[in-house]
Amino acid sequence: MLSIQHISKHFGTVHALNDVSFDVPDGQILGLIGQNGAGKSTTFHSILNFITYDGTITWQGHPLSANDFDTIGYLPEERSLMPKLTIEQQVVYLARLKGQSAKETRAHIDEWLQRFAVKGTRKSRIKDLSKGNQQKVQLICTLIHHPKLLILDEPFSGLDPVNADLLKQAVLTARDEGAAIIFSSHDMEHVTALCDQLVMLRKGDVVLHGTLTEVRNQFGKTELYVTTDWTPDRLQALPGVAAVTVRQPRQYLLQLNDPAAGPAIFEALTEGHYIEEFSQQPPTLDEIFRLKVGEDHA
Amino acid sequence: MHKTWIVTFETYLRQIKSWSFLFMILGPFLMIGLTIGISYISANSASSSREVAVISESQPLRQAFIKQNDGLNTKITTVKAAKAALKKDHLAGYLVLSTVNQQFKADYHGSDSMGSSLRAQTQNFLATNQQAANYQQANLSAKQRQALARTPALTQHIAKKAGAANIAKKVSFWLLVTMIYIILITYSSIAAQEIASEKGTKIMEIIFSSTTATSYFIGKITGILLVILTQIVVYLLGGWAGYQFAINSTKLKPLITEYHSLINAVIHNLVNVNLVYLLLGVVIYTVLAAYSGAIVAKAEDASKAAQPVVMLGMLGFFLTFPFQSNLDAVFVKIMSYVPFFSSYFMPMRIINGTASGLEQGLSLAILLAAIGLFAWYIGSQYQRLMLQTDSKSIWQQWLHGWRHQD
Repeated sequence: MLSIQHISKHFGTVHALNDVSFDVPDGQILGLIGQNGAGKSTTFHSILNFITYDGTITWQGHPLSANDFDTIGYLPEERSLMPKLTIEQQVVYLARLKGQSAKETRAHIDEWLQRFAVKGTRKSRIKDLSKGNQQKVQLICTLIHHPKLLILDEPFSGLDPVNADLLKQAVLTARDEGAAIIFSSHDMEHVTALCDQLVMLRKGDVVLHGTLTEVRNQFGKTELYVTTDWTPDRLQALPGVAAVTVRQPRQYLLQLNDPAAGPAIFEALTEGHYIEEFSQQPPTLDEIFRLKVGEDHA
Repeated sequence: MHKTWIVTFETYLRQIKSWSFLFMILGPFLMIGLTIGISYISANSASSSREVAVISESQPLRQAFIKQNDGLNTKITTVKAAKAALKKDHLAGYLVLSTVNQQFKADYHGSDSMGSSLRAQTQNFLATNQQAANYQQANLSAKQRQALARTPALTQHIAKKAGAANIAKKVSFWLLVTMIYIILITYSSIAAQEIASEKGTKIMEIIFSSTTATSYFIGKITGILLVILTQIVVYLLGGWAGYQFAINSTKLKPLITEYHSLINAVIHNLVNVNLVYLLLGVVIYTVLAAYSGAIVAKAEDASKAAQPVVMLGMLGFFLTFPFQSNLDAVFVKIMSYVPFFSSYFMPMRIINGTASGLEQGLSLAILLAAIGLFAWYIGSQYQRLMLQTDSKSIWQQWLHGWRHQD
């Protein structure tokens, strides 16, 4: 388990991290969200001891040291490989630095290239690959030694939906193998699809922390999805409805002032009859993200 | 340690597999080969047109001249043939030997004046033959001939041993100082650019999540030092092969034999503790160059990175010039203990035989301590320096480094 306890980091007068705490158990995925400059990369750099910090970070109960390097897989925010090397030379070199023999790595390169659908062979030079394929090679470098702690800084950035799905599968496989995974993303869809828990940072402070359900439920079930023949005006007149948004013809999203208004609206809408859709939910992660960012700007 | 070797191996392979390294290693051999080849072709093509034919009605006279001189055309025997060959530029000229009224004469016909060597040989030949003929005609006794043959004597007395040793010292000094300078300048640039090109790149984050910065730094430096050793070994082997070729070559063997003691003295002056100074000098300059590479503002500034180190190397090189004939100066003694300069100045003193074993040991200890201290300091700063991308000046970086040992 990766445990981060009360870490703080200052760059001069700027508070990059302020008393941040969370755990990432083995076999779980934690999503780190926040605006640019919220402190996500600083958190990763603190975990990897790239910078000094106040507080405690432990991996499997002890401070992370050089002895743990072989168990870490790290994908930095911007991609960077050695352009003159071939795919094989690059992957073998980085895997050797992670303690995996060249022989073992060479035996599996083709399998990984196929898994990520890289357009090129093991003998292709990095500089001859497209940006997307270079990114996939970097992901292979991060994953090929089967790390137990996976740190991915914006792993989906620049990937098309098909390649994003390939990455999602790889991350889920690593999780199933027992890895503790922490990744940052601006795309709430990916966070929703992958994360067991999430942490939202805002200017170095933790503003949200919990499982996806816990976080969403903190905001109450204030969103009501209905499909009905009622007009928007009629829906707006219902007690407890703050706003009505037309999603599709006959499909509406009602914003409630109070989640407790749900049963009364249900009664009024159905009058004891069948209704195609009536779903009362908490806000989506995307909406919560915007809400939290908005709080800061307010 | 294992990961340090991985980095060493990778750095070494990347350098020696580059075209620039191959050109650098093979360049001198290609230049020497090209020079010898061109000289050989030029000599061969020009040899026939540089020959002089010898013509005479007296065959014994002609044969005597040919016997005493090399490089003559012996095939042409008539003036007519010689004129034709001269016209076609197949001859440099022809010499007509004759005897008129007991006087020996030589008439040279050519497109250019006679070569000084051939002229001296011809005059000598004519004088010897004229003298013999004069003696014969004068009907002198053996005693009278002996008396007339007497010439004044001028003898030079030179202490050959000391003279040779002085030349050996000068040759050794220049060879060593130039070798140190060239290797320092070349590899300072390579080391600084190798490190600077990685500055601020995200691959450094991946590497520092795999091994410690100190381990990586030592691996890099060791890799570059192995490249330097490779170059030195290639040059030593090339030098040995060249020497073997020279002593087996009929043309070069007399030269080698003549300068045998000088060559031995120079080799002795170079292949001793001075070689250690050369290597340690290269190490300390390489470490400084690596640091220079690490403190540039961004990877694009890699070409500028080596400049401070190159300047320091040049300063050391040029500072030795005024003192090559004054090796007992206090300044030389002081500089022979100062790291970065001792690699130039102590070998000068060792060659001159004015540095005791204790002084050499002390200077080496200071140099080793400086390398250790310097490597430790840079190793401790390396991660921070390589990951940051701000645009602080070199001095700001130094100050920051000393204030924040993290």
